[in-house]
Amino acid sequence: MSTAVHQTSSVKDYFKGLFNGVTTTFKGMWITFKYVWAVKPVSIEYPEVREVLPERARMRLFNDAQNCISCTQCAMACPVDCIYITSEKLPENAEIKKTSNGQAIRLKLTQFTIDTALCCYCGLCTTVCPTECLTHSHDYEFSQYTIDAMKYDYLAPDVRAWRDRIVKV
Amino acid sequence: MQTRWDVGEPERPTINEETEQLKSDLLTLNMGPQHPATHGVLRIEIWTDSEIVAHAIPHLGYLHRCMEKHAENLDFRGVIPFVDRLDYLASMNMEWTYVAAIEKMLGTEVPRRGELLRIMTAELQRIASHLMAFGTYALDLGAFTPFLYAFEEREKILRLFEEVSGARLLYNYIWIGGVWNDWTDEQLERVSQFCDTMEIEAKKYHELVSMNKIFVQRTANVGVFTLDDCFSYGASGPVLRGSGLKWDLRKVAPYSLYPEFDFDIPVGEGEVGVVGDCWNRYYVRMKEVVESIKIIRQVLNKLEAGPVMGKVPKVIKLPKGEVYMRHECPRGELAFHLVSEGDSKKPYRLKVKSPCFTHVSMLPHVAPGQMIADFVATVGSIDIVLGEVDR
Repeated sequence: MSTAVHQTSSVKDYFKGLFNGVTTTFKGMWITFKYVWAVKPVSIEYPEVREVLPERARMRLFNDAQNCISCTQCAMACPVDCIYITSEKLPENAEIKKTSNGQAIRLKLTQFTIDTALCCYCGLCTTVCPTECLTHSHDYEFSQYTIDAMKYDYLAPDVRAWRDRIVKV
Repeated sequence: MQTRWDVGEPERPTINEETEQLKSDLLTLNMGPQHPATHGVLRIEIWTDSEIVAHAIPHLGYLHRCMEKHAENLDFRGVIPFVDRLDYLASMNMEWTYVAAIEKMLGTEVPRRGELLRIMTAELQRIASHLMAFGTYALDLGAFTPFLYAFEEREKILRLFEEVSGARLLYNYIWIGGVWNDWTDEQLERVSQFCDTMEIEAKKYHELVSMNKIFVQRTANVGVFTLDDCFSYGASGPVLRGSGLKWDLRKVAPYSLYPEFDFDIPVGEGEVGVVGDCWNRYYVRMKEVVESIKIIRQVLNKLEAGPVMGKVPKVIKLPKGEVYMRHECPRGELAFHLVSEGDSKKPYRLKVKSPCFTHVSMLPHVAPGQMIADFVATVGSIDIVLGEVDR
């Protein structure tokens, strides 16, 4: 049990404490007062002024489906299992396309969906991607009205339009 | 030595004629879980006798996320983002402790530059965490301005971390075998500039808050943890050092490259009030900021070009065995007990020893007899993060 420490106080101590209280308060107020003119404001007014994000900033994920080889390494690395990939075999006499870094695409990607509401933005999926098609974009304003709308299908046609608008090349 | 953890709950007043007359004014008051003075979702049930706290019972579990159970179903790299979320104000230290446990089992050698960068990020994170503690503690006691000053400096650290790792709070930066990205010379130059400004700022904080008469009156001689209490509950970190024991794992059980560095362990000396009170715990933190700056300066001098990642197998499989790794984190001694079954990609068990949990359990011991306002000061001074308490 804590016990209050009682100190003997005299008239001298009383006035000493009073003086101490006034001086330290004014010292503090002087520091604060200096901010009126001597210090530049550091805050920015967000919707009008936007901070430029650093290059490595990890925001919403983007998959460049044309370069994806359906290896599912990202889905396996994901600690929260928010990447859904399905693929099927190419027909026998189909032409085998290549990714931008020269890997052959041997499977047809039929679904690539990321549940952004589950995603924890840890960046583990982007580090294992062999073709570097899965990247973090700099888009951080993607709130939705329903939680289902947070599932982004990266094979949908409007995704490329979104990319051209936002993703830094 | 008598242990204090078996205090137990006092008898709740039963309704019969005799006790009704005696204890009719014992009021149950819930502080939290969304109370601004509780630093997260902590609910403290206080039984008050008018303004005096008769008994305080902390109720935990509002932020329980089954982190330890989750870890058993994830591969070793996948646990790192979860470990980040333990103490979200000191993620770097959490990551480093977990990663060090795995490296000890794997026998990985971390390159010198990687290890030095780890020390630097951990110390920067310690400064950021203590700045947060300083700001919110002043906020608890009714001073709003220091909070803004602390955040201005903390923002500089977070910006550096964001540039180097990509996230502001949950970094996933320290990896098994080293660190993810290297720091550029320009960023290291900014770290050095930050050290210079932080030293000036620390003096300003002392003038603004530490020596302020109102602050001293609110915190000195309040919530005294004697060294005896600290031993019986198992306190660590600034709480233990504030009570006057020179105990810092970086010195007493050195890990990593800390033996190379020259720094002191600040302890509560009772300049104001008595050793072990709220003011001394607070002051130890502020002195630790200066010590961390010392370490960062030495790291900057020692840094040489080189790799930051060591050689690590692509799929990590640990041998059979267990390891207990403890590090000095901003809030105290954090430890991971990792058990591996052998030839498995997942941990068999990952137990977290959290410093804040022991500190929260000290509250019922110190609360009886305090005023409610003093109790708020006590809760603030132990600087808890509920993410780590509940896990």
